[in-house]
Amino acid sequence: MFPLSLETKQDRPTALLLLLPLVFILSGTLIRFLAFRYAQPDADWTSYFGALCRWDCGWYVRMAETGYDRFPIPSRINAGNWAFFPFYPMLVGLVAKVVPLPTIVLASLLSILTAYAAVLAAWPLLGRSIRAYALYAAFMLSGPVSFYFTTFFTEVMYVLLTTLVFRFLGRSNYLGAAGAAALLSATRIVGVFASLSIGVQALMDYRKTAGTWKGVIPGLLAQPRLVLSIFIAPLGFFTYVAFLNYWVGDGLAFSHTQRAWGRMIANPAVYLWEGLKKWPDNGALFSNSQILALAAVAGLIVTGILAWRRQWPAVVFCLFCIVIPLAAGLASMLRFMTAMAPLTITVATLLARQRIVFALSLVAIIVSAWFVTLAWMGGNVALV
Amino acid sequence: MLRLSDRSPTTLGAYALAALIALFELTILWQALHPTVSDDYRAYYIDKTTTCLPQPVAADYTLGTQLDFRSGGDDTRELRPCGWDGPAGDGMHSIGQTSRLRFEVGPPQNLTLSMELTGVTLPGPAEQRVLVSANGVDLQELLVTPGKTERFTIAIPKEAVGDSGFLDLKFDYPDAISPGNRISNTYWRSVKLGRLKLSPA
Repeated sequence: MFPLSLETKQDRPTALLLLLPLVFILSGTLIRFLAFRYAQPDADWTSYFGALCRWDCGWYVRMAETGYDRFPIPSRINAGNWAFFPFYPMLVGLVAKVVPLPTIVLASLLSILTAYAAVLAAWPLLGRSIRAYALYAAFMLSGPVSFYFTTFFTEVMYVLLTTLVFRFLGRSNYLGAAGAAALLSATRIVGVFASLSIGVQALMDYRKTAGTWKGVIPGLLAQPRLVLSIFIAPLGFFTYVAFLNYWVGDGLAFSHTQRAWGRMIANPAVYLWEGLKKWPDNGALFSNSQILALAAVAGLIVTGILAWRRQWPAVVFCLFCIVIPLAAGLASMLRFMTAMAPLTITVATLLARQRIVFALSLVAIIVSAWFVTLAWMGGNVALV
Repeated sequence: MLRLSDRSPTTLGAYALAALIALFELTILWQALHPTVSDDYRAYYIDKTTTCLPQPVAADYTLGTQLDFRSGGDDTRELRPCGWDGPAGDGMHSIGQTSRLRFEVGPPQNLTLSMELTGVTLPGPAEQRVLVSANGVDLQELLVTPGKTERFTIAIPKEAVGDSGFLDLKFDYPDAISPGNRISNTYWRSVKLGRLKLSPA
């Protein structure tokens, strides 16, 4: 990620910046629709949105329509939907009260709109490079895993809010970052770690201004906006916990219900190593476990690049967002990594440096969308 | 920039709001650490002392009826509170370290339980112990051989049946086998249930 410019006008989107993602919205929709027709030639075209709604998407649809489970769970299963954080599904549910569209159609349209906003918001963090911007827009809207950001997953809102947190932090606007972080902490559990990024940014700002670490604690506590921000940032998380206290009687139900999914907490390095050495037995190049483990390794490498660039607020955020889910296994690691805005933005800036690499990357992103979308509809477990 | 030294109403207001939010968050945290939940909820989700979270079932049953728990057999959903996965062609698979069945049996009387069990063939012990209890009264320990279907008959005294009109059968599997590395005991396997019948003794 790049620092913001001193002149705020430079960070405002131009007509080109506004139009370019629209091209990728069109191309992405076309690719995914053609993949749907290819995979399910006999299906009615109107079932397109539903066909792309797989795995957790189904949970979000139900949440938007009927809200959170009570206990005992009405469908008589152990897996309560308390595991899923509320902000995005409840937002869709609220909009659905006034827009009479099927939930999955409405959610898909809102997701595309959110992804568009996330791309626009990332412009300054992409170093105001039009090539990096094009790559990032292509990845989000027309890329291999664009179905995460254009159907009904919380990832798209997570990307937008993460981007906003780091945009605000780029100007040391702690209150703005805290507002975005508060929503982020109600979107996915790891969103709460954006609070740490605010603290790290404040420490860096203090060191820069004071030129010393001496008196850092009083120096930070003497800033009322910062103190207020630190408590606002996790407010979404605590509000959800308060709701679960009231609704189920257990504020930590989001964590306790993981038992029903059979998740075991263990050393993240062990999960990573076991995944990497699990070779495929079906002639494929990589096993699903290897794909998921490699996604986590790639995430850690890019986090290393952020550390090399001394972007500590992003480093802290990324480390927690990789290591904590990894402690519960490799499941969904590819989805988690591709929805980490600091990582994907950094990769886009690296690939955009040379014209030829940029061109090849752009082609690869768009072409792979076809194949990965087919794998998604085929139920490939690595994509869950 | 606002500083503590300003002592302006805005500064003091910011600190007051921060204190208020902090208090709210601490209260929520305290509540979260002291959940008010049922015993079943606590045992399954929090203490993790059971893998079987009983779900409400109708438990409708006519004594003497033989039930087929294999796929294509009887619909037994309303008799299975927890701990079963299926049905499959070779029976209803136990899942976790405990399974439960619930039957409406009417007034107290001596009963006979007969059932077919098959041990799972995952790598593990030579036999699967199954501890059977009814309404909390221990009845018998069965030994089930992997891959072999055996018929077991157990006498249930009317004291165990009690006055509730329902019989809650519990099957504990101390030798349940994990199907892989780092898989929670909620997914461990032990036996497969084929046919079952409860009859007056």
